[in-house]
Amino acid sequence: MTDPVLELRDVTKRFGDFTAVDKLSFTLARGRILGFLGPNGAGKTTTLRMLLGILQPDSGAIAILGHDIADVRPRIGYLPEERGFYKRMRADAAIAYIATLKGMKRAAAFASARRLLKEFGLEPFARVRIEGLSKGMAQKVQLLAAVAHDPEFVILDEPFSGLDPVNQAELEIFIRKLAEAGKTILFSTHTMQHAERLCDGIVVLTKGQKLFDGTLDAARALFPRRARVGADADLSFLRQVPGVQQLSMPSAGQPLWILDMAEGVDGRAVLAACFEKGVPLTHFDISPPSLHDIFVSLVEAAA
Amino acid sequence: MRNTLLIARQEFIKYVTRRGFFISILMFPIWIIIVLMVPRWTSAAPQRTFTIVDRAGGYRAAIVESLARENAERDLAALASYAASNADASGLERAQQPLARWFENPQAPHAVAAFQKSGGRDAALSAMRPFLKPAARPFHPPAPRFVYVEPPPELLSSPSDRFANSARYALDSGRYFAVILIPPDFGQEGHATVQYYARDLSDSDLLDFATGALDSALHRNVLKRYAPQLVDSDALEATTTVNTFNPTKANSQSSRDDSLVKIVPIALAIILFIVSVMNASVLLQGVVEEKSNRMIEVLLSCATPRQITSGKMVGVIAVALLTIIIWSLALFGLMALADARTVTLVFDALGSVATFDTLPLLLLYFFCGLLIYGSVFLAIGSMANSLADAQSLLGPSMLILMLPNLLISGIMRDPNGEMASLVSWIPFYTPFFMMLRIASHPPALQIWGTTALALGTTAFLIWWTGRVFANHVLTTERPPSLTGLVRRALALDRRKI
Repeated sequence: MTDPVLELRDVTKRFGDFTAVDKLSFTLARGRILGFLGPNGAGKTTTLRMLLGILQPDSGAIAILGHDIADVRPRIGYLPEERGFYKRMRADAAIAYIATLKGMKRAAAFASARRLLKEFGLEPFARVRIEGLSKGMAQKVQLLAAVAHDPEFVILDEPFSGLDPVNQAELEIFIRKLAEAGKTILFSTHTMQHAERLCDGIVVLTKGQKLFDGTLDAARALFPRRARVGADADLSFLRQVPGVQQLSMPSAGQPLWILDMAEGVDGRAVLAACFEKGVPLTHFDISPPSLHDIFVSLVEAAA
Repeated sequence: MRNTLLIARQEFIKYVTRRGFFISILMFPIWIIIVLMVPRWTSAAPQRTFTIVDRAGGYRAAIVESLARENAERDLAALASYAASNADASGLERAQQPLARWFENPQAPHAVAAFQKSGGRDAALSAMRPFLKPAARPFHPPAPRFVYVEPPPELLSSPSDRFANSARYALDSGRYFAVILIPPDFGQEGHATVQYYARDLSDSDLLDFATGALDSALHRNVLKRYAPQLVDSDALEATTTVNTFNPTKANSQSSRDDSLVKIVPIALAIILFIVSVMNASVLLQGVVEEKSNRMIEVLLSCATPRQITSGKMVGVIAVALLTIIIWSLALFGLMALADARTVTLVFDALGSVATFDTLPLLLLYFFCGLLIYGSVFLAIGSMANSLADAQSLLGPSMLILMLPNLLISGIMRDPNGEMASLVSWIPFYTPFFMMLRIASHPPALQIWGTTALALGTTAFLIWWTGRVFANHVLTTERPPSLTGLVRRALALDRRKI
């Protein structure tokens, strides 16, 4: 097994009396996409800033590509959560500037900037100042600036925030391409659908503490499958069906009955019970818990 | 180092492509023109026409004679200035030696007297004509400050007890700025009082001139009474000529270098203040802007805080140097247009400080000063979350920054005095004060001590700014109090910067 690209051991960061990150440990293997999930204020951005050497941990150790961040800075790409660039800089110059700071030669940096802009359909805007671009375009430019120097490890802090659905889909494709090209990617988000579609593994964080670290399948295995049943009748009798662990009634904005199923139990017993009672169903599905459900369950349990 | 230079380059481009930079570059020559022209406009006093009723006899002629002498002196000074720009100096020196001598010191009484005797302005212009350059501008003689006109008969015949009324009518006519009545007993038995009538007594130029002329006439009359043989003696026209020497120089007779050598350091000290305020405050705004648009976070992912602060400093120094170069060229251009002699004067001044023992120190103090002020502004920018925050910190900082300006005249009067020596050891101000003093040869101990202090202060502030920047640039809390600032600055920090 190759050395992990990222390794955190008992990393703690405090701001005065407030502990932002508490003994956080996890690893990220080369070529993987890791979703770094957590509610607002969970400590995600603080952790990412520590990975980048912007903040220093109070205790614990961080190794990136087997080294201290100071030694591997040019091999890392970073997209911050809050986007901003020099407003009067032209798009290609802005991308090239960051790439040169990451060690690229000026000519190569400009060539890379123009290639990426072309790939993203922004070639006509290469010489446009950042202040003249739309918000979506400016965000794309910043993303391209994070990867123009061809980094081995890319850290993306809330990369989907502020993008419209079309641009979000484009970004997903781009992240997949990066992974296919052998890059290791760590991105933080609280939009679970993106993480569910992209990630090989997830780390869930709340109040600075790690709640989960593993693959999506492992996360799903922690929680029961859920059946969702729609009917005009009262389905409280399903509580008596073997294998149904919990029953939630419909509520405002949620018109279906939700049943948590025991492991290994399928939906046939539920359907049979409804048939026996002569209840006509308008909806029925059974599926593993979504990442959203897992995330909410984990965070609620921690609270 | 590479990242420092890349950041410096980016900072340089960012600042010099701003509209504000172009405006400041343009504003300076405009400001210089205003500074030069306003005193000219304000000093271009209106011509004052006056008349004299001389009932004592002989004093009117004395005032008129003084007036002719003053006009001749003004003519000679204007001709000297005109010749410097428009005549072939060496040709004039060879063929018109007396004239060339008078031009060297046109205010000297003996030169003015000789100029008058030789025919005054017209004769001098004729003598100069063969030596005028082909592109010589026409000579415009200066307008006399005062013009004497004969008194009207009604004033001459006005009895003493009604003279005030007559004078009022004369002034009301608008023909006269002032009327002077010299009473019959003036100059006799200690009587030396005249009456001066004018609508504007606050303008005392004419009054001072007339008083001076009458004083001279009185003295001559006393001489006439007690030592008549001396009245027309040349000895009375003798004036003192002072030869100045500086025994610390190899060529002990001093030249104008002695005064010129002080011009460049003073100019540099003032320029240091102006560019510091201008560029360092731009540096502050830049950091606040980068904090607000989170660009700083991107930079911090690429470079260390120390590289970022150093890059910003180098960038702002480059902007300051470019500013100084452009301003200097503009200034030279303006001076060349106005009077070619001033360009020579400036080159002489630059040449006088371009010595092994002055120039390196001057440049060192200049860059230390720029870095000290830049560091402070950068630290303020790191601690501020908005321009409003920055302004609240900038106000007191500006007051502190401006403090040395109050002491410039005192230090220039006595550059090696107690006060100058004392304030030179205030670390924040050392470069500024030492630039002012360096041409006055402060003691060696002070030079080397303050040089070490300036270097130490600069190094400390750059280090301190790196620390403040690293600790504050990503925070969104309120700027710390003064005590908090000191505590944080001195606190041990394991942050790698």
